[in-house]
Amino acid sequence: MSETDDTCSLRAFRSQARDWLNANIPDSHAPLEGPGSRRFILDWQKQQYDGGWAGLTWPKEYGGRSLSVAQQIVWFEEYARAGAPSTHDGSFVGLNHAGPTLIACGTEEQKAFHLPRILSGEAIWCQGFSEPGSGSDLASLRTKGRIEGDELIVEGQKIWSSYADIADYQELLIRTDPDSKRHAGITWVICPMDLPGITVRPIRTMAGPSKFCEVFYDNVRLPLNDAVVGGLNNGWKTAMATLGFERGTASLALQIKLIEQVEVLVRDCDDAMLAPRIADLRADAAALKAMSYSFALSAAASGSPGSEGSLIRLFFAELAQRVSEAAVDLYGIGAPQLAGDHGWAYGYLEAFSETIAGGTAEIQRNIIGERVLGLPRGKA
Amino acid sequence: MDFEPNDDQTAILDGLDQMLAGLRIQTPKEGETVVFAAALDAELAASGFLDIGREAGFSILESALIAERLARLPVTAETSSSAIVGQMFRAGEMERPLALLQGSPLAPARFLPQARSLLVDIGNDLLHIIVDPARVEPVESLFAYPYGRLAGLDGLETRSLGKEMLAPFRRRWRLAIAAESAGLMRSALDTVLEHVKTRQQFGRPLGAFQAVQHRLAMASGTMNATYWLAMRAAWSDSESDCAVAATYVQDAIPIFTYDLHQFCGAMGLTLEFPLHYWTYRLKALLGELGGSSAQARMASASTWSEAA
Repeated sequence: MSETDDTCSLRAFRSQARDWLNANIPDSHAPLEGPGSRRFILDWQKQQYDGGWAGLTWPKEYGGRSLSVAQQIVWFEEYARAGAPSTHDGSFVGLNHAGPTLIACGTEEQKAFHLPRILSGEAIWCQGFSEPGSGSDLASLRTKGRIEGDELIVEGQKIWSSYADIADYQELLIRTDPDSKRHAGITWVICPMDLPGITVRPIRTMAGPSKFCEVFYDNVRLPLNDAVVGGLNNGWKTAMATLGFERGTASLALQIKLIEQVEVLVRDCDDAMLAPRIADLRADAAALKAMSYSFALSAAASGSPGSEGSLIRLFFAELAQRVSEAAVDLYGIGAPQLAGDHGWAYGYLEAFSETIAGGTAEIQRNIIGERVLGLPRGKA
Repeated sequence: MDFEPNDDQTAILDGLDQMLAGLRIQTPKEGETVVFAAALDAELAASGFLDIGREAGFSILESALIAERLARLPVTAETSSSAIVGQMFRAGEMERPLALLQGSPLAPARFLPQARSLLVDIGNDLLHIIVDPARVEPVESLFAYPYGRLAGLDGLETRSLGKEMLAPFRRRWRLAIAAESAGLMRSALDTVLEHVKTRQQFGRPLGAFQAVQHRLAMASGTMNATYWLAMRAAWSDSESDCAVAATYVQDAIPIFTYDLHQFCGAMGLTLEFPLHYWTYRLKALLGELGGSSAQARMASASTWSEAA
């Protein structure tokens, strides 16, 4: 850590964060879907931005504070401890995928326009990667972009685009070279969600809300220069940067929240038979904390998250499922801890998606086997 | 040893299948999460299938076969409580549908919105409460069965069934959990097998990948083990077998359901895909009667007590 990150200054930083959170956390929970969700997300993001607590590690010139990862970790710890609104909402893609991808691969104009809007609560982003026939096999995507003059004409369909119904922009992967196959000929573009030709259909999940959406593109015209990020037909590389963040540091806040939730279970456990299981979860949480902090600090030092992020993403996803399952066992159906939009029953069902979103557990295991352990590549 | 249904059992199951075919049970409308099939419930009560365990020459094994078969349906009716727990009582003694509880009589219970009788294990007695539907408050739940709770006990007819009824009540409830889970697991696994045979990724069906095959093979083992443990428990109707069956299934449900949803990807997390008709119910059964740790305690106690 640098001199400014010494224990003393971190302690002072923690104290400031705690004071601000205590004074500013919203009284109500965020709605899980719809316009109410959008308003809540944007208002809370703006409040954090105005208070100087948004984009802590983002560059100052784009609205961030250029602080260290250690300070970011302290903020997330205090955020979780204070019970602040979930970070796994409509703000997630902008803050954790699109924003970091633009910082890494965007043009100066794109950064100057979009990054401050993400941080200050003016814009919500969603992701448009998966398609009905392209889930784990993302490189088989077929939504196409045809160049006409200075425009890209988009035709096709995306699915599992969380919060697309309330988003302003989408990070969209399209095939721009019709003769290309697999990873070549794909482009990462910024797609404003209010363009003519875009239709969004929410899909109800088994956890209750309709945060998943299908998005249809019928002759959608994007301005070529503004839209393309990381170069035409170079989108696979840009997408891998995005997914690197998703599998790496994007979940840091969620991981820290999970660690805090385990402590709540430890405090509430009054069942001698469940106690050893919850003790195991606490050990797992301690391991997750060590792994994720170490990874975040080394990723910051190297400039980009490596494939080791898949180790943490997988460990976190499976631990999140075990924790929510233990919570349901501990409290029991009908308990107030399970009820409501933010109760454990919702968390339990929502946790099923942890081993699917952002690359399934099977894809993460393939990455760990091939890129971390250096094993021979299997037959696709 | 004979693991095949005998002629009578085959005839019963064939008759049940015919009745179900005649009812033309519809797949629930998309997005419905709690689907209580009132017509099926009424027909089951009228047809006598749920009372077969009391008939001469039959036992609770036939009741468990019926409960397992009915759990395969994409809709729900109050079946295993009546068919397995209800057979503890004389015909007509306990008006169905039944709801079962352990602990507070005011806790949420499956089928309470439809129930006429609520049986409550309060630790030192088994209570029978005649349910007044007007006194039942529906409980919102994500777990597919209709849930409700009593607004209060004042004015409700309640009788003590005696402490000696607690052990058979818990034993049969454990058996009901296992038998119903076996049927739910079968339909859930069938749904997923169909999906992985047809869904293509990387140029071939998902089911062609060994990582998928291995875990579905394990799921198949879990389903079969659940079925046979339930049938053994129904055959012996012993404390230890019923506790072992319930322990096994409640331990197995989390991994079983996670794997099944995993291989259906994001589609499997939506209400548009039928898997939730069965996995929601499995998740509800996961915590019944204290969950797997309570069943394991009973399995230990009865195993060592029987050994001694």
